[in-house]
Amino acid sequence: MLSFVVRRAAGMVVSVLLVVTITFILMQLIPGDPASVLLGPNATPEQIEALNRTWGFDKPIFVQFYKYFANFLRGNLGESIFFRQPVLRIIGQRAETSVFLGIMALIVVVGLGIPAGVIAAVRPNSWVDNSLLLLALAGASIPSFWLGLMLMVLFAGKLHLLPSSGYTSVIATGNIANLKNLILPAFALGFVNAALVARTARSSMLDVLRADYITTARAKGLRDSVVILKHALRNAAIPITTVISFTFASLVSGAVVTENVFALPGVGSLIVQSVLKRDYPTIQGIMLVVAVLYVVINFVTDLAYAFLDPRIRYR
Amino acid sequence: MGFVKLILRRKTLLFAVGVLLSLVVISIFAPYFVPYDPDALRVVDRLQPPSAAHFFGTDHFGRDIFSRVLVGTRVTFILGISISAFALVFGVPLGVLSGYYDRLGMLIMRIVDAIMAFPAIILALALMAIMGKPGMVNVIIAVGMVWAPRMVRVVYSSTLSLRENTYVEAARALGASSGRILVRHIAVNLLSPVIVQSTFTFAFSIMEVAALNFLGVGIPPYVPSWGGMMNEGRTYIIRAPWIIIFPGVFLALSVLSFNLLGDALRDRLDPKLRHLV
Repeated sequence: MLSFVVRRAAGMVVSVLLVVTITFILMQLIPGDPASVLLGPNATPEQIEALNRTWGFDKPIFVQFYKYFANFLRGNLGESIFFRQPVLRIIGQRAETSVFLGIMALIVVVGLGIPAGVIAAVRPNSWVDNSLLLLALAGASIPSFWLGLMLMVLFAGKLHLLPSSGYTSVIATGNIANLKNLILPAFALGFVNAALVARTARSSMLDVLRADYITTARAKGLRDSVVILKHALRNAAIPITTVISFTFASLVSGAVVTENVFALPGVGSLIVQSVLKRDYPTIQGIMLVVAVLYVVINFVTDLAYAFLDPRIRYR
Repeated sequence: MGFVKLILRRKTLLFAVGVLLSLVVISIFAPYFVPYDPDALRVVDRLQPPSAAHFFGTDHFGRDIFSRVLVGTRVTFILGISISAFALVFGVPLGVLSGYYDRLGMLIMRIVDAIMAFPAIILALALMAIMGKPGMVNVIIAVGMVWAPRMVRVVYSSTLSLRENTYVEAARALGASSGRILVRHIAVNLLSPVIVQSTFTFAFSIMEVAALNFLGVGIPPYVPSWGGMMNEGRTYIIRAPWIIIFPGVFLALSVLSFNLLGDALRDRLDPKLRHLV
């Protein structure tokens, strides 16, 4: 187990290094002199000098990369051109909305996806299965922002059941009812991924239900619910977990647009504003944070598998 | 019960192909038969609900949504095809070489994995910001850069399994060069996974293009596009939801049809996966 952890950890470090390198290269592609890009055309010589001291823009490219990486390790992702504040702090201020939205969307993904997949697998080729399959396919084809807009029309516009936009911090105000504002966005975001999870849950359940130990369990006279939930679902869990861990990237992508639709003050709407304002340090800061998070989540999932299924450790 | 599913699958396939063919026809001929000039402003007719005169209603400038949605098909298809082509041109050669030469493969796949650590829309947004202006070519590059690594991955893993085949070994034993093996024995057999992946690339890329246009960082707003129309309709979403509904329906139908086609092709071309779906 230890050698497995060490190997995976080394792989994670390489991935982080590559992610930082890619972001660095992308930022090199911005046309124009970095000082005027980052400080604006009216920068004073003192400001330019201070900038060069931290980032080494007047030095050869390898020195620049070294400084970039060193700053990254210190948690210095630069200063936002628009907000005139450290990028990491701005991301931190916006993180709450995105994290809560992500968690609630994940609840939708798991809460809809797994039951739908299991039900479909228990009665394969029945009308329930076929309609769930069709629904899942439709779910995977509907853009989450469009679904969000439609939900907004229905639940906020026509039925007046839920708020259509905005979000005030639960942590700052202590008012848990604010989470109501995230219900529609979380559903819009989660539905698409729930479709994916449902399809995987169905096919891995179908595989497992064919296994001999399921026949044995049935032959012992166990109730259907016990066979399905205890014997089958547990063994089908690994592929399902994989897909759920994949949904991270897709949830982040979806959140960018969904936060925009529902005017939520999260990291996703921050990157869109930054792109429109050409706030390059903020853009690259968000890229780095999200990609590093992705690499770390992959690492943790790998470890979780090795823990769940000892065979994986030896691969 | 098996044949019911088969018919259902055939029916869905029929549906998908029908929708796609209609959309192709629309994308080519729409400008010649739509009832209104898609850009004509008629302020007296603004925010009209769907009616016999305006099938899909009108927007805040009084433009006919039906005409705009149909004309927008062309942009969607041009972008979808171009992005898939971009992914093919970069993805296939890199994937084949990575799968055939181990060391190169290790390097390239590491880079591919790192690029894929950036969620699709975030990478596309960053690339749009770096390239500066909105525009068709920039959108093709930005979204193409997102999907090319995924194509590399598919081609890479197919090449890895193809090169273990006996006929490759036989060719090598007969003294065939690496170039000949790559082209005559491996590339040819990559056709089916590449076709399947291309249909998915098309489906996902038009969805992503719509998202970029919706966010206002894709192609310029004066070109009628589904995402752009949905963006413009947001202000009037409660008063005139049809501005958003119809472009979205067309987008979802296109994506759904490509996904159905991709699924059907995969089942057909790769019998091993048939029992899974």
